[in-house]
Amino acid sequence: MTPDRAETPVTAEAGPTEAGSVDELVAQWEDEKPPASGPVTNVATGALVALLGVAGVIGSRSLGVGSASEPAPGTWPLIISIGLVVLGLVLVMRARTAGFGEKFSVDSWRVASGLATMIAFTLLIGEIGFEIPAALLAFFWLKVLGNEGWRSSVIGAVLMPVVFYLIFVTALSTNIPHRF
Amino acid sequence: MDFAPVIDGFGVVLQPENLLYCLIGVTVGMLIGVLPGLGPAATVAILLPITLTVEPVTAIIMLAGIFYGAQYGGTITSVLLRLPGEASSVVTVFDGYAMARQGRAGAALGIAAIGSFVGGTLAIIGLTFFAPLVASFALDFGPPEYTILALLGILLVASVGSGTLVKALIAAAIGLLLATIGRDSFTGSERFTFGILQLSDALDFVPIAMGVFGLGEILYNLEDRNNNTKAPTKVTKVLPSKAELKQSSGAIGRGSVIGFFLGILPGGGAVLSSLAAYAYEKKRSKNPERFGQGAIEGVAAPESANNAAATSSFIPLLTLGIPANATIAVIYGALLIQGVTPGPQLVEDHPDIFWGVVNSMYIGNVFLLIMSIPLIGLFVKILQVRAAILAPITVLITLIGAYTINNSVFDIFLVCLFGAIGYLMKKVGLEPGPLVLAFVLGVLLESSLRRSLILFGGDPTGFLGRPISGTLVAILVAVIAFPLIAKLWKSKSKQKELV
Amino acid sequence: MTTSPTRRLKALAGVAVLALGLSACGGGNLGSDDSGENFPDGAINLTVGQDPGGSTDLIARALAGPVSDDLGVEVPVLNRPGANGALAAKELASKSPNGQELMVMNLSLVAITSLTVPEDDAVDLDDYTVITGISEDDYVLVSNSGSGLETIDDLKAAGSVDYATTGTGTGSQLSSALLFKLAEIDGTAVPFDGGSPALTAVLGNQVDVASIQLGEAVPQIEAGTITPIVTFAADRNEFLDDVPTAVEEGYDVEVAQARAIVGPKDMSDDVVKELRDAFTKAFETKDYQAFNEKNLLRPQELDGAELTEAWNQSIETYRQLTEEQGIDLGSSE
Repeated sequence: MTPDRAETPVTAEAGPTEAGSVDELVAQWEDEKPPASGPVTNVATGALVALLGVAGVIGSRSLGVGSASEPAPGTWPLIISIGLVVLGLVLVMRARTAGFGEKFSVDSWRVASGLATMIAFTLLIGEIGFEIPAALLAFFWLKVLGNEGWRSSVIGAVLMPVVFYLIFVTALSTNIPHRF
Repeated sequence: MDFAPVIDGFGVVLQPENLLYCLIGVTVGMLIGVLPGLGPAATVAILLPITLTVEPVTAIIMLAGIFYGAQYGGTITSVLLRLPGEASSVVTVFDGYAMARQGRAGAALGIAAIGSFVGGTLAIIGLTFFAPLVASFALDFGPPEYTILALLGILLVASVGSGTLVKALIAAAIGLLLATIGRDSFTGSERFTFGILQLSDALDFVPIAMGVFGLGEILYNLEDRNNNTKAPTKVTKVLPSKAELKQSSGAIGRGSVIGFFLGILPGGGAVLSSLAAYAYEKKRSKNPERFGQGAIEGVAAPESANNAAATSSFIPLLTLGIPANATIAVIYGALLIQGVTPGPQLVEDHPDIFWGVVNSMYIGNVFLLIMSIPLIGLFVKILQVRAAILAPITVLITLIGAYTINNSVFDIFLVCLFGAIGYLMKKVGLEPGPLVLAFVLGVLLESSLRRSLILFGGDPTGFLGRPISGTLVAILVAVIAFPLIAKLWKSKSKQKELV
Repeated sequence: MTTSPTRRLKALAGVAVLALGLSACGGGNLGSDDSGENFPDGAINLTVGQDPGGSTDLIARALAGPVSDDLGVEVPVLNRPGANGALAAKELASKSPNGQELMVMNLSLVAITSLTVPEDDAVDLDDYTVITGISEDDYVLVSNSGSGLETIDDLKAAGSVDYATTGTGTGSQLSSALLFKLAEIDGTAVPFDGGSPALTAVLGNQVDVASIQLGEAVPQIEAGTITPIVTFAADRNEFLDDVPTAVEEGYDVEVAQARAIVGPKDMSDDVVKELRDAFTKAFETKDYQAFNEKNLLRPQELDGAELTEAWNQSIETYRQLTEEQGIDLGSSE
């Protein structure tokens, strides 16, 4: 073992705020957390869950609910669906204490656009192969979502499809639709 | 105990292909442990398509390597950046980073590597003797036992999650409902398929895991939150001194034992055990004020514990077929896809897989120990790879990988859909773990319950009339009752305080 | 933190190499893209509607090798499990009948599963071109050796009997349901997912008896842990010549699993002949015959017309029997 090799000369630049004790550190983590969503989100979530449960109950009934000694295809989905209704209502009632998620922020557009590129990729892959959609997706993620420079974004967008082509088409001969 | 299969298991591990995959697994594990963002569950999910092209034992050896490798990788960022790469390394930050600031980063990482190795190895030895013991009851496990076991597994995982119980149970119930989509295996009639042909064969586990864990996590990380990467601290002198070794040997031993036992409990796992081991060390220390100021035991104990727990959490999977946490749930899914059902029968039916995987952990831990010390410098460099570059690579691997499983564009759509669901769940505070776990166990739970009810003639008290299922019911009741009682007690004492 | 673009790209390349290394070790599956006039044109896909490792899968794999050698193209076995094989069958029906897409079809899928599902979902042999029959597999009713249940009379005396089946719409379910109906035994069916879990349920005394395929039962019969009660074959099996058939015992229940190679409807006669010849040569190889013996499979290497007739007869028999006896396979009773 060569401990010397681990002596990586990395600039030891201290973080912006140095927390000393454990408590301060925990407090700092708490501060850095994104803003929490409120009880309204919990009410909405609970209502949606209860609705899903109601839909499940209706669906299960049409499958036949059977009986305890002769369970039918709908028996188990009915049990879960009733559970969903109950849990959804509990969440609505306890909206203030049930713990919060995160607020949707101005940044949520990034998620929506990221998802949109994936769906576009999926729609295009069957039509024109994966290479061009992959290049476009990579460019969007590098330049727009990743704030990379023009040069590295273009290089990345070209390089990634090439490497993936080499892996999935040349090396593995998978059936992934490809144009070239 | 018959040792022949144990030794045959070493033969399995020592095949060059398996050694290679073990090495790849622990390396990838360490890497993703170092890189903030993707956790082991997401990584294992994303790599599922690759595992389909190799033998089951090889696949599981690699996936297991990712899991325990990540436990160690997470330590590196905790110590150097004060950013826990994995939840199980949160407590390591307290003393690890303090040590780094005193110029003892090397010693902290070194003791973590040694502790991880010892903890992992002790847990495998435990696993070796414990698992066949459970498996000797294998034939006594019928439908009623599986019903209660599956329920217990889901409840335990739901109850120790980071969110509230209601939300965890909601996630689990949604997972159970998703598992009912497709043709009912008892009658052949279609359920919730909405006339979509691809749904008649049930939802595939892989797109769900890849979507909820993989894409969900990538999408979630797209929102700028607190990832201002700091430059890592300088690392010098990796090996801890003799005095430091002596000081932490007790902590390593105790941490390993705590980790082993907490890891066995479904839902316990690495996170809880590292917290428990740290708290215990601090409590029994003569001068607890040293903790948080760079006490080496504060690094040794939780790191030994989280690795021991990661290893021992394979016990419920390999002996009972109950995944103890989200990552293990994905590994369970990988086994099912390979046509291997984990359960009490596993050690009898597939000794090569059972002992191959168990013994690969010895080798994997040796790999980790050997690699971690000289490679720390490399990992520090990897920390500088930007998330902006990794994200599109991960997205493309996921989308293309999803296609290759069944050569189906429909599967890529499913991955995107479940990616969106995974993201939304995180936003509203629903954990994806219980959903995936419940989805995996859903079919077992329903079919066992239906078989049990048929066998009992519809009388649910039948569960109490059998020794093993009766015992399991008692444990189940205790698991449900305990948090409720604790909560009542807490709220009472709170009320008193207010008064 | 400042990093130059080249350094970043180096890191990128590093990750890519890692990914390459990771996946390159995986091997891959091959497929053919276009259809042509000349047969065979590239790989011939042999789809199996069951999981890897089951009897159907093993049979497909035993045949794929010699057929591939004879035709000089790859014959990959693709598992597409789901709904007793209905999913794979539905997909096959929509493929081009150029001979590049084949499947191992189970009799139970067309004859028994079709009794349990709505008419639209049923798989009809008329929608396929039959290349050749393969073999038959018998069912045997077994009990745990410790239970003392050795004959049908023992079962009658037991009062009520829980029996495991290998699934809904299988020969296992049909054979036991018919036997218990005819013998007037009060039986409760507990469906499991396949032969191995059903066998385990018998071994663990979770159920009293199970009807499973002979090949799957043999190791445990030899080990003495389970007792064969009757077989559902037409004749006594050589291996179990002291075990009576259900017919000998006075119950007219004859259920076997049979398998055939089929392709999409309207395949040309030339292609069918070429394929049938290749499979016939495969049937004659030593390895394949040894495989049949080991798994107690009875060759049933009929041509398309003979097989269609034989299967249609079974389909008719099963339909009549279930109707006469008022057996509803679709519910778990």
